[in-house]
Amino acid sequence: MKNLLTIIAIVFYSSFITAQDFKYGKVSKEELAEKVHSVDASANAAVLYRNEDISFVYTQDGFIQEREVHERIKIYNKEGYNWATKKVYLYEGGGGSKEKIQSIKGTTYNLIDGKIQKDKLKKDGIFEEDYSEFTEINTITMPNIQDGAVIEYSYKISSPFIVIDDIVLQNDIPINKLDIRIATPQFYVYNKLINPKAFYSPKLNESKMKKTFVSSSSSGRSVTGTTFDTSTSEYSDNVIKVTDENIPALKEESYAGNMNNYRAKMSMELSAIVNRYGAVEKSYSSSWEKVSKSIYESPNFGAQFKRTNFFKDDVTSIVAGVEDPFQKAFTLQNYVKSKVKWNGYNGIYTQKGIRNAYKEGEGNVADINLLLITMLRSQGINANPVLVSTRSNGIPLYPTRNGFNYVVCMVQNGQNYILLDASEPYSMVNVLPERALNWRGRLVMDNGTSDWVSLRPNSQAKETTSLNVQFNDDFSVKGKVRQSMTSNVALRYRKKYASMSQDDHIKSIESGKGAIEVSEINFENANDITEPVKLSYNYELSDAIDDIGGKLYFSPMLFMATKENPFKLDERNYPIDFTMPILDKYVVNVEMPEGYKVEALPKSEIIDFKEGAAKFSYIAKENGKYLQFVINFDLKTSIIDPTDYGVFKQFFEKMIEKQAEQVVLTKA
Amino acid sequence: MPHLKSKLLLIYVLLSTSIFSQSDNDFIAILAPAELKEKANAIVRYDKQVVEINAYNRMIVTTNRVVTIYNKYGDRSHNAYEAYDPNTKIKKMEVRIYDAAGKEIKKIKTSDFADESAVSGGTLYSDSRVKYLNYTPIKYPYTIHYKSEVEMRSTAFVPQWRPIDGYYLAVQYSEFKIINNSGVEVRTKNENFEAYGIENLGESHVSAKNLKAIKYETYSSDIGDITPCLKSALTTFDMEGVKGENNNWEDFGKWMHTKLLMGTDDLPQSAIDEVKALTANTEDKIERAKIVYKYMQDKTRYISVQVGIGGWKPMLANEVDKLGYADCKGLTNYTKALLEVVDVPSYYTVVWGDQNIRDIDSDFSITEGNHVILCVPNNDENIFLECTSQTNPFGFTAGFTDDRDVLLVTPEGGKIVHTKVYSADESLQLTKANVVLDDMGNFTANISIKTTGYQYDLHEGMETRPLRDQKLHYKEYWNNINNLDITSIDYKNDKDQIELIETLDVSATNYASKSGNRLIIQPNMFNKVTGLPTRYDKRNLDFKIERAFKDVDEFIIELPETLKVEAMSEGAKVNTKYGSYEYALEKLEGNKLKYTRTYIMNKGNYDKEDYEAFRDFRKQIVKHDKTKIVLVK
Repeated sequence: MKNLLTIIAIVFYSSFITAQDFKYGKVSKEELAEKVHSVDASANAAVLYRNEDISFVYTQDGFIQEREVHERIKIYNKEGYNWATKKVYLYEGGGGSKEKIQSIKGTTYNLIDGKIQKDKLKKDGIFEEDYSEFTEINTITMPNIQDGAVIEYSYKISSPFIVIDDIVLQNDIPINKLDIRIATPQFYVYNKLINPKAFYSPKLNESKMKKTFVSSSSSGRSVTGTTFDTSTSEYSDNVIKVTDENIPALKEESYAGNMNNYRAKMSMELSAIVNRYGAVEKSYSSSWEKVSKSIYESPNFGAQFKRTNFFKDDVTSIVAGVEDPFQKAFTLQNYVKSKVKWNGYNGIYTQKGIRNAYKEGEGNVADINLLLITMLRSQGINANPVLVSTRSNGIPLYPTRNGFNYVVCMVQNGQNYILLDASEPYSMVNVLPERALNWRGRLVMDNGTSDWVSLRPNSQAKETTSLNVQFNDDFSVKGKVRQSMTSNVALRYRKKYASMSQDDHIKSIESGKGAIEVSEINFENANDITEPVKLSYNYELSDAIDDIGGKLYFSPMLFMATKENPFKLDERNYPIDFTMPILDKYVVNVEMPEGYKVEALPKSEIIDFKEGAAKFSYIAKENGKYLQFVINFDLKTSIIDPTDYGVFKQFFEKMIEKQAEQVVLTKA
Repeated sequence: MPHLKSKLLLIYVLLSTSIFSQSDNDFIAILAPAELKEKANAIVRYDKQVVEINAYNRMIVTTNRVVTIYNKYGDRSHNAYEAYDPNTKIKKMEVRIYDAAGKEIKKIKTSDFADESAVSGGTLYSDSRVKYLNYTPIKYPYTIHYKSEVEMRSTAFVPQWRPIDGYYLAVQYSEFKIINNSGVEVRTKNENFEAYGIENLGESHVSAKNLKAIKYETYSSDIGDITPCLKSALTTFDMEGVKGENNNWEDFGKWMHTKLLMGTDDLPQSAIDEVKALTANTEDKIERAKIVYKYMQDKTRYISVQVGIGGWKPMLANEVDKLGYADCKGLTNYTKALLEVVDVPSYYTVVWGDQNIRDIDSDFSITEGNHVILCVPNNDENIFLECTSQTNPFGFTAGFTDDRDVLLVTPEGGKIVHTKVYSADESLQLTKANVVLDDMGNFTANISIKTTGYQYDLHEGMETRPLRDQKLHYKEYWNNINNLDITSIDYKNDKDQIELIETLDVSATNYASKSGNRLIIQPNMFNKVTGLPTRYDKRNLDFKIERAFKDVDEFIIELPETLKVEAMSEGAKVNTKYGSYEYALEKLEGNKLKYTRTYIMNKGNYDKEDYEAFRDFRKQIVKHDKTKIVLVK
């Protein structure tokens, strides 16, 4: 069976080599003459061919990873010129081990008077930059780019590292033909992960191939610790191939969150190193359970929980007299917030260690939240870490340590639990900062067992607004606004305004609201996170009322109305992500001007989307001297599926039209 | 507390002996003068920079700076960073951080600073790097004491003294001194000294005391134009090993010509033959220049590579011809070389390129500017060519290099000239529309927008984008119309006349808002101004309008038989020194309405007292642009 597989692989491989068209240098006149992309006319450039070959070569220093890339790109017009510049990021590890780029070759092809003109990439088109301690950037820029040009380049990266970089299968421009081959020696076991949220999914083909290597017995040094003692050995490579055609471009859609969540790509996660007999020498991830356990066992994670002496005295006095575990958690979260500031870095592993972070007063997310957990545990509270992938990191759907880049704290008391994050000053109990609100996280218990917990807020973030409207003699209006905000809406507001001067706060409220003057602003609970944000101010608005032919026209929500539909695309491929469910309530009280009566009032109406998943209600009442409007936008879900987009867009349109409806007053 | 008292006493003693040496009280945030805290995100407690010039090509800059920071917006004010390159050596960098009471909480040494290549987003490569402080504040306020010493072999860029280098930054004390041991004359120029009470302590030795923070206000000049500044330049200087003379712009220009440009203009014979052939039958020099400009645009692309004599020497024309790319200097120099071949003289021109207008200082020659363009003299007029764009029309500068002083580099030396000013009439936007409204409040419309001058610059660019992006663009452009559907888009971009015409067919549902049996429509459908300049209780800074423009609109709205006009305004006129505005509504035959509107904005500089009146003018426009017509069934 094994032999058969090898034969298949060889046959397959040789048919791959005979795909003559894509051999380096064999650019055809047809390719050069093409004016627009045959499938996607909007493309400014297209990848005609990409070949990526990843393999491991045995050397004196053990296995070296080689990644050979050959790419042919068509540039249709000037907007596509930036595809003629390619940046290659190389990683530098400690102790002089680093990735190297070799054999860079490049050619630009132009069709001049029916003839193919070639310009070679020279040294002056290659720039090396020591970007930072860990990164070197190699930039290649191709010569003589003109509309219609085809460029071709190839290079090889040698890496002493066992980690394989993600393999991108979809670009922001179309890819016509893709050939990927990943050959990994039998000693390294990788899990392949393909982004299941992508619109496009590639076809895979897996096989085995026989290899031999020669080594001397003693001088070998391998970064992975795997050395071999025979002078000639046979082993096999596991080979994965992706061959596909016509991969569509990934196009940006607003309000979709991180577009990279939807890009087709493949990751190779190292799960184990095995010896030649197949026995596991070192195991990495392979299930979420194992991933969580392996993270927990890291010295920069689980071991951190063992140190408690350095804060013991401080903490005991802080929680003295507090009994309820959730109350204790809240108290200690505030304490950690006040002691240790977030330095802006994410991470599941501590950067400084919780002790140093506590001492120095700053640290990354893991430093801060593992410190909180340790403190809570020292008080006998059932506190555990929850591994999270931030919104910008995307959603991990396969077991991988790299799938997590953030950690928060969960406190359990019987059947109840709360989530905490002390890295964000305005986060509250069960109100995590938006960066962490990404679907679900992995709870890891003290004994190493783990389970999923939902991170999506299940309660609505509420914003309640009351708006009073009084008419002046010149038909300008004035009044008072009172607002109250809870959970993530409050967090967002505090983050933006808590440290802003009152003056700038007023400017910010006034901005975009027309001829308004805001005064006597009062911002309560800016820093008291136990209470909702309370905001009130007075306003004067000079251009709210239209006096046309002796009648007065106005829309009751004045400057509070949503005037523009943010959803402008005709159709979408990706969901709309509101991050959290929302409830917006408005109560508008209009005092009728002397000598006027109502001629027309907008009708009360309820607009519904998907059986109450979202609901807009508008109730108008005339009540003696007053007109009252109660307007609610009630969004119960935080994600709108692309299949529902059309209906949701209409729902939003109707909502905006309703808010624009006018009250008509005439002289009594 | 007694401890603090004795400390204060000590400070008092120190203060009375040497008034402005840096002292321990500078490290104590709570002792910062109360009157400076107003509107300040940070206060420079003490800043002393000494520039020691030891030779025309040796300079040592030492910095000693203490800044108290009050909130996150002030975090960057410590200025604890140094740029360096092969000619600049950082000898020392050190930071100490103090808490509010002045207790030292952290010390950072040279090796602990972050180190990165200083390649900005658009730049492909540059050999400059930067070391900077990367510090997470634990608590506000805190005070940073930064000390550095940097040795430079280039003296072309003597640090400028700008005590107020940002908004919301107050300065308790700042001192700047040049020690000149070189025997080379150092010229200096000061700006805005009187208004801020800047003291002269000696030759090239100045200080500032108790400068209050400046709050940002919209429409004001760049902060660098209104705050104190001391500029200095060596009359004999060095730029990365190249020696130069700089007594005035003539000298400096001559140096650029001989040391940076001369010998860079050789072209391969093939390019010479090509442009000669292309222009063989064209007599007129400007026409020849147009042909060459087009040739260059088709052949090259812009790439930013900042190398070669501090990023000031252009790539060889030969190289540009071979590679087909270069930065602004290389492309300009290449175009210049090509024009020479066809006997059209042109001058390499240094400019501050930006949407905001900024001049090269006409009466003080110093190494400045961030961009290079090409000047083709045409009798009394100068034509300026932007060589980094593959699509820019010949001689078009609006929006990036228009209306400013620039430096021409001629073989005779440098000359300051002014680039083209686009008048309101030249920067026109003419929008015409034919609208058909139905009795449900839906409409269809055919619209054309013609733009020239600065407005051409604002509209040009969509043409080459994919249809999906174009549609999104127009939905944003007309965001006053919800439910807008774009049926067709057509562009006519006349690069000879520099005139763009966008023609669109659109439709929208429920444009009219409803009220019983009435429909209410706003006739200004396609050019509505909604934004107002920020309101200030009391404006502190003068303001300016940098560019004039003119908008003309003419919309014909056809009503269905079933709707009659119940009420509408006839129009309005507003005339101010800032500009003028008028609109009119009239009934035409066949149940049609005609809406016309003209809005002209003048260019000008105005006193802060005028700001409310300017805002009032804008308020009137916003109000009139919302004018409504009531239709009844």
